[in-house]
Amino acid sequence: MLALLEAWLLAPFDYGFMQRALVAGLALSLAAPPLGVFLMLRGMSLIGDAMAHAILPGVALGFLAAGFSLPIMSLGGILSGLLVAVLAGSVSQMTGHREDSAMASFFLISLAAGVMLVSLGGSSVDLTHVLFGSILAVDSTALVLIAGISSLIVVILAVIFRALVVECLDPLFLRGQGVRGGVVHGIFLGLVVLNLTAGFQTLGTLMAVGLMMLPATTARFWSQRLEGLIAIAIGIALVASTGGLLLSYHLSLPSGPAIILLAGGGYVLSALFGRHHSLTARWRRHAAPLGAPEHD
Amino acid sequence: MSRLQLHDLQLARGGQTVLEHLDGRFQDGAITALIGANGAGKSTLIAAIMGMLAPVAGSVECRVPRERCAWLPQQLALDLTFPMSVEELIMTGTWPSHGGLKGYCAAHYRRGREIMARLGISHLAHRPLGELSGGQRQRALLGRTLMQEAELLLLDEPFANVDIETVDVLMEVLRDMARQGATIIVVIHDMEQLARLADDVLLLAGGHGRWVSPDALLDHHSGLVPRVPRLPLTFPDASHAGTA
Repeated sequence: MLALLEAWLLAPFDYGFMQRALVAGLALSLAAPPLGVFLMLRGMSLIGDAMAHAILPGVALGFLAAGFSLPIMSLGGILSGLLVAVLAGSVSQMTGHREDSAMASFFLISLAAGVMLVSLGGSSVDLTHVLFGSILAVDSTALVLIAGISSLIVVILAVIFRALVVECLDPLFLRGQGVRGGVVHGIFLGLVVLNLTAGFQTLGTLMAVGLMMLPATTARFWSQRLEGLIAIAIGIALVASTGGLLLSYHLSLPSGPAIILLAGGGYVLSALFGRHHSLTARWRRHAAPLGAPEHD
Repeated sequence: MSRLQLHDLQLARGGQTVLEHLDGRFQDGAITALIGANGAGKSTLIAAIMGMLAPVAGSVECRVPRERCAWLPQQLALDLTFPMSVEELIMTGTWPSHGGLKGYCAAHYRRGREIMARLGISHLAHRPLGELSGGQRQRALLGRTLMQEAELLLLDEPFANVDIETVDVLMEVLRDMARQGATIIVVIHDMEQLARLADDVLLLAGGHGRWVSPDALLDHHSGLVPRVPRLPLTFPDASHAGTA
């Protein structure tokens, strides 16, 4: 039994590429879910998806300029992601249109431009790589980049945490204190872009959002407290990225989709059996009698 | 003493002047009622006092430090689906003065519990905001301003959609805050509430403001609160005001 467990759980990580993939996955799992929780709470769950498309043209330009160089591609991704975020923000401010419609327009333009650029300069193999990533091809440079960006995100998030909470809950309170809500919002979107850029190497631009949003939306079924949501989301991401890697190793599956599908399976199960708002929770629902002690 | 003064203030919304030639001083330690018909510019004036709307001309002179200014808006921008408890909401009142980076200490929590007891919401401390009634929510929001130790407090229709018992508690707390020197401005529509609460009245109508005493708004004959608010649309003479 022990031998079987070892063969299944530990032996794969004797390989260097699996170790690097594991560390990259764990680093992303620490940084991405808290961002996802805030995106979800702000009703911006799909903005992450839009931003993921927005980094594509930058990544493609980096690829065209310097070949398959991760730092250059990441830099391009960060720049184009931030550019789209700023453009969408200012267009919506100038025209008075909702930010999501501006964001939708810009991400579609970005996606088309990115795919066009990659096709002009490379082969379809390159395109697949950029779109879907390859966590098993993470080298030391990429690992340092991913771990560095993830650490940066966690630190900045800790610094702006309270402002972010107040801004989500009651933006007018923050404005009354002379803090421009836009500043906090901008820094937050910047972190989302950074995180997606760190994730595209391993999961691809399209699926990097998965590790951010799925754990967050799943956690909603298990906790009604902010700390609880974040802790549970991180836990789910850690399990999904480790489990997904093992599955992909043993069953010869592509790693990115394996990780995200595992997280997706967690979401479906939680929607069915979770503690709050799930299907079974609705059935279980009953009211405590008057005068019963409060439950938290 | 007055730490909040208006100097020949002109305010506009969307290129349209809403208020002009507005002068006056809000007394410290007093509750000033801000009254006027819908669209008279009450919320506009409040936004200008909070520094969120730049005057077209004139100025607002506010000598209360920013972190001691609190505002309870009429259209609640509060996201009620946000996972936060009443206690946590009240604790965010420390944020402006204590800073966004430092954690809360025991003294903060103690003060938070005192405030909740004062407002009669101790039993709701761990209740999520989304599960509160309108009155309970208004008490929790006032608790946040108490936590903030607000010295200038602007309330936009705080008693709308609030039960009678809560109105009593809120009024008592506001009265206490005024007694301790806070400058309080309340937008009120209900004349009875105005008579109970206000020390001073700023009436906005036709783009102008006029300071009147609360007595001037009472029924001229009986001296009682009129059952239907009779806002004078034309201003009484200065000599007339306060003599009723």
